[in-house]
Amino acid sequence: MGRYVIRRLLQAIPLLFIISIILFVLMQNMGDPLATLGGRQPTRSEDRARLARQLGLDKPLYTQYFYWLVGNDWTMIDVDGDGVAETEGRRKGVLRGDFGTSLVSRGRSATEIIFERIPNTLLLMIPAELITIVIALVIGIYSALRQYSAIDNVVTTISFVGLAMPIFFVALGLVYVFAILFQRWGLPSLPANGMFDPRIGRSPGQLLIHMILPITTIAFISFAGYSRYIRSAMLEVISQDYIRTARAKGLSSRYVLYTHALKNAALPIVTLIGLNLPFLLAGAVVTESIFAWPGMGRLFLDHLGRSDTPVVMGILLLTAIAVIVFQLLTDITYALLDPRIRYD
Amino acid sequence: MAQGTLPLKPPAEVEAPPLTLGQMAWRRFRRHKLAMAGSVVMILLLVYAFGGAFFLSEEYANFTDTSIRLIGPTAGHLFGTDTVGRDILARTIYGGQISLLIGLAAAIVQVILGIVIGAFSGYYGGWIDSVLMRFAEAIMIVPTLFLLLVMAKFFGGQIPELTILGRTFSGSVVVIILIIGLTSWPRLARIVRAEFLALKENEFVVAARAIGTRPLEIIFRHILPNTIAPIVVTATLGVANAILAEAYISFLGLGVQPPTATWGNMITGATNYIESAWWLWFFPGLLILFTVLSINFIGDGLRDALDPRSRPS
Amino acid sequence: MKKLLRQMTVLFAIFVLISTGLIACGGGEVAAPEGEGGPEAVDSGGEETAVEPAERKVATFVFTQEWDSLNPIYTNMWFSTITTQIWNAAAWDFDAENNLRPVLVSEIPTMENGGLSDEGRVITINLRDDIMWSDGEPITAEDFLFTYEMTINPSNTVGSTYPYDLIESVEIPDEQTVIATFADPFVPWAATLWTYVLPEHTLRPVFDAEGTLDTAEWNRNPVPSAGPFVMAEWESGSFARFEQNPSYYGDTPNLDEIFIRFVPDDAGQIAALRTGEADLGTFISYSDVPTLQDAGVNIASVPSGYNEGWFIHFGENAHPALSDVKVRQAIAMGFDRFAINEDLLLGLTEPAVTFWDNSPYAPADLEAWPYDPEMANALLDEAGWVDSNGDGVRDKDGVELVLVHGTTTREVRADTQAVAQQQLAEIGIKLDIQGFDSSVFFASYGEGGPCATGELDICEMSNSPSFPDPNTSRWLCSEIPNDEAPDGNNDQWLCDEELDALFQQQSTQVDFAERQATFDEISRIMYENVYWLGIWRDPDIWALSGRLTDTELSGATPFYNIVNWDIAE
Repeated sequence: MGRYVIRRLLQAIPLLFIISIILFVLMQNMGDPLATLGGRQPTRSEDRARLARQLGLDKPLYTQYFYWLVGNDWTMIDVDGDGVAETEGRRKGVLRGDFGTSLVSRGRSATEIIFERIPNTLLLMIPAELITIVIALVIGIYSALRQYSAIDNVVTTISFVGLAMPIFFVALGLVYVFAILFQRWGLPSLPANGMFDPRIGRSPGQLLIHMILPITTIAFISFAGYSRYIRSAMLEVISQDYIRTARAKGLSSRYVLYTHALKNAALPIVTLIGLNLPFLLAGAVVTESIFAWPGMGRLFLDHLGRSDTPVVMGILLLTAIAVIVFQLLTDITYALLDPRIRYD
Repeated sequence: MAQGTLPLKPPAEVEAPPLTLGQMAWRRFRRHKLAMAGSVVMILLLVYAFGGAFFLSEEYANFTDTSIRLIGPTAGHLFGTDTVGRDILARTIYGGQISLLIGLAAAIVQVILGIVIGAFSGYYGGWIDSVLMRFAEAIMIVPTLFLLLVMAKFFGGQIPELTILGRTFSGSVVVIILIIGLTSWPRLARIVRAEFLALKENEFVVAARAIGTRPLEIIFRHILPNTIAPIVVTATLGVANAILAEAYISFLGLGVQPPTATWGNMITGATNYIESAWWLWFFPGLLILFTVLSINFIGDGLRDALDPRSRPS
Repeated sequence: MKKLLRQMTVLFAIFVLISTGLIACGGGEVAAPEGEGGPEAVDSGGEETAVEPAERKVATFVFTQEWDSLNPIYTNMWFSTITTQIWNAAAWDFDAENNLRPVLVSEIPTMENGGLSDEGRVITINLRDDIMWSDGEPITAEDFLFTYEMTINPSNTVGSTYPYDLIESVEIPDEQTVIATFADPFVPWAATLWTYVLPEHTLRPVFDAEGTLDTAEWNRNPVPSAGPFVMAEWESGSFARFEQNPSYYGDTPNLDEIFIRFVPDDAGQIAALRTGEADLGTFISYSDVPTLQDAGVNIASVPSGYNEGWFIHFGENAHPALSDVKVRQAIAMGFDRFAINEDLLLGLTEPAVTFWDNSPYAPADLEAWPYDPEMANALLDEAGWVDSNGDGVRDKDGVELVLVHGTTTREVRADTQAVAQQQLAEIGIKLDIQGFDSSVFFASYGEGGPCATGELDICEMSNSPSFPDPNTSRWLCSEIPNDEAPDGNNDQWLCDEELDALFQQQSTQVDFAERQATFDEISRIMYENVYWLGIWRDPDIWALSGRLTDTELSGATPFYNIVNWDIAE
């Protein structure tokens, strides 16, 4: 096992390297960061040329990648446009932990911009994921035990309603009902967006109230993706001979369920969780936008919209590392859950 | 573990004349009420989308009349009219052709890739597993949005048109199917691989290997039928996802161009009218829901039919 | 089974508790920066409000984009520049009628008072003597000189050096006088010069230490500042708060606090306005206007020079028919733009006649081309475009009259395309319509943008002058992009020599009336030749809650009278 883990970690190095090159090249096709600089008018040619030089965007792609990777503090760059490189580079490069400075908020470090969003991202995503998994487990298991019962069919339909609607539609529908209609009817209503009411100020209570709708949205949308797999995995297992045998032998169904069934249904569930967890770090783009939640998804979208390579690459690299780590953890968990599974 | 004893072939509950595996499956499927209901609904949806075209023309589906915009369901327009006065009934028919095509085809691409890559990776292990799974991780990491924008830049407005069943489709329909199919398989691959990792050490596989059964036969005839359940779920989720993803891709300018309707772009275009014009989203939404539900039940029936261990309904 | 369910319920309850715990912890974390928000950030969020909740007048604004920077030299973002009148100050600003209003200067420079001299090459301003930064330091000519120096200093990666790079010299003979000398007469000074000022006493030490202002803390926490409000806190991705500036030299504002929430989603903005959580929103689409009005929200339509229009391509890639003025006139008369305005835009706006509608340079005597399909048919016949092969589309010399029309995927634009396609088909013009992601659509020639390269025959978009000054750069022959100059602004490749001469002429006319007369002539030529076809006037639509009072908005500097804004409960 130890050798397997080491081998996987060694594989991660070329993988990250190749992915970073692919992403960097793709990033250059995401638009021109200098086209409007976020304004309503195209950037003047003079300003564009000056900024390209100052920000190093006039360099060939491989040089830009190289500076991004290893920094440019060992060389001189031309800032004033006289063709003479006179200023010392300041970048350290990703390999030394410097993601570069943002092209949007020029001068701000991409690392700082990204990391200040992590707490709020996880604050939204972790409870949402936990709630989704718990509800999906309860309902998935119940549906499997009572396959084709009235409740199973109702839950199936509801989970597919969530699946048949785009996320923004669910979010706006919830806002309409619980924020707008409830207010109109004089019922206690939920806020439409934000993290607190400026007239009341920040408090854990305010935060909790403001989290209800975004979390419900995420849970409603991702619920089917879990519960259907759990239901089908449980169906597979409980219909197998040994479970029937165990039940016939008079073991209580609770015992059978816990020790045998759930354990054997765990592989697909663990796989799913392992696939979803790394993306919690990436946030929820649409939900965050509608509910004005300051998470990573919005950061990604805002900076991608302005082709801010350092910030976008930083977020993607973090996600990449998370994906690789969680896939490894998933594979280790397999071996723990099922002794038949060996990798060597 | 006890699971090791699971039977290779269906247990001998065989009745008088011996039936082939296919015949037996079909019999079980027929008895599966919900699966039959799902099949009927799916056929009706296909008839609606492709047969409806004989009653309402595509010109009619795209005919605008801004003086009757946003009118609710009436006798003249059973499903109401949209923001430029087009008939929603006709648009759900023509939109259905594209959405069903994209939804089903993309799910098929996704499922085939997921099965093959997951199965090979899980069965062979070693370097094959390493290469395939690192590739899957790479696909998961690169945002689909990136690929879409790059393709929109290079192919936008330049994709040749295709004629299928007498209707001209933008070639971008194929592009959408491929993009969705080629980027969504890693989930299924990971799940199938996990199942294979566990099943390949089972006695029945070991036995099959010992008597010299070819690996491909072991993979597809002996192990794969045991992983049918998650595959069915993935296919169901995949169809819904593809139908909605189409609208998103088209919004980036790469997909189906306006004024061509799809269920996805109809529901997406209804964002600002959730309560003021419910018919804009209700009908396409309902059709998507029917599609997903029917595929789910057909899938359930298929699984029960192919997998003898599942309880009869 | 019941037991199982009960256990699951318990399990679920535990999970909920854990997540609540997480939330509480997270809450603590989020609240933490408040205490360390700099010396200026008076900790008012929690305590003060708890003591006297009804007293504070807090107006909540929704912005759909977050600022990249608040330092005016670093940002081109509209949402950032419009906040200038809240927390910073310009030499002057524009009122609701687009009249200049002195702010930091004692009077607006004119030829008569000597502020403008040497045919508009020299612009002299005299500062008020009572103005000061929020830390009590006086605002002097030194600050203006510093602002100029920082903008053009190559060590700063500023957004735009315009118009300071056209200045030959800035002199400050005394603490209250700033003389800017341009190389050539500089006409658009009112809209572009001294629209911001930086605090020299705060930023000079930063620049001396760092060698650049790029990393200055002030860019995100602009304290001290010179406006009626001063920043209290800005939490990235979430909100920003401004509180009253204790040292403000003008009238004390009625509002105690301006709370700006960044809600990137339009529908999210509408929801917040409807529930009353937001008092102000911008860029409201016409389809949302009735909904908002039903909820008691006031709508303000503020012209800022934008007009939605069809930019017809004249380059070598364009369809040959478009070089014929008769065909262009036929397009104008074959497309019912009045119905578009009446139905799709709910009658809230009307067809734009010229590119300079909605601005002080709009001509008074022109009327939009009428909808007249018969006349359009006659013109097309006259021009030799007839349907000779009976396929329903006109043709000439074997070329079919099929035009490629593109725009962004915004709903109202896609709807307009669908209507136009059908109406033009009725006069025998086939419109091949395409929608693009805006990053692709607006790309320059060098980036292969479909408008700039002529891949599209007609591009629909909304564009504006540097309001309230009329921008002309996208119409100049010299701005036609090519491989040597891929950034040219003239995406439609139009080059009309008479027009070009008039554009050159207006660029030297300091006198408003003379310049306006030139624009009348420009507008007439463009109108008669249908070089550009206006679809609708596209003013900025603002939503203001019923509790906000005394709001006036200007197109160029929206919050010019923010000190008068009040809240009535």
